[in-house]
Amino acid sequence: MTTSTDQDKNLESMKNFAEQYAKRTDTYFCSDPSVTAVVIEGLARHKEELGSPLCPCRHYEDKEAEVKNAFWNCPCVPMRERKECHCMLFITPDNEFADDKQDIDLELIKEVRDSMKN
Amino acid sequence: MSSASPVTDSSFQAEVLESDVPVLVDFWAPWCGPCRMVAPVVDEISEQYEGQIKVVKLNTDENPQVASQYGIRSIPTLMIFKGGQRVDMVVGAVPKTTLANTLEKYL
Repeated sequence: MTTSTDQDKNLESMKNFAEQYAKRTDTYFCSDPSVTAVVIEGLARHKEELGSPLCPCRHYEDKEAEVKNAFWNCPCVPMRERKECHCMLFITPDNEFADDKQDIDLELIKEVRDSMKN
Repeated sequence: MSSASPVTDSSFQAEVLESDVPVLVDFWAPWCGPCRMVAPVVDEISEQYEGQIKVVKLNTDENPQVASQYGIRSIPTLMIFKGGQRVDMVVGAVPKTTLANTLEKYL
């Protein structure tokens, strides 16, 4: 059983990864911050469940096998090779949905997460 | 994500495959960012084509059977069904015009 503190720690480390990776690759977060928030939450959940941050914007026949295959572990191969993130977490500056931000508030991620509970 | 009515693995046959009108299916997942962006587009389409098509959404996390059956990979995927057959699809958070143009072919 994972405690809520562990979950928060996991979420925070995924947020830190996303911020650092955006800065390193000169990419930006989405102009709709709730998009960034759900993707970071989805990555954190996969990290927790599967040990790796498998892309949450794909459907998989077998998540464990995909983690081993590593192609869609964030940052995925298309992102590393061509800066293509179909999840819209890392957006190149020429994209109309790119904001000028490379940071996101942890509280906002939690708010969006909590708003989806029902 | 959209206000389109949800379908499941068990209701897919009746709601989508046996529908008298073409059906637009929004394959989405809760932690998929672009799914949030396409949801309002799907809603607008639903209003614009009311009576001509049916618009539904399928949560791929909760309904892996249908998602796998139709080879869903990238999410969101918007698929059009007519007469029980998949006739077209668009992948990703597409603009409304792209979706509308694709749909028009099947009305």
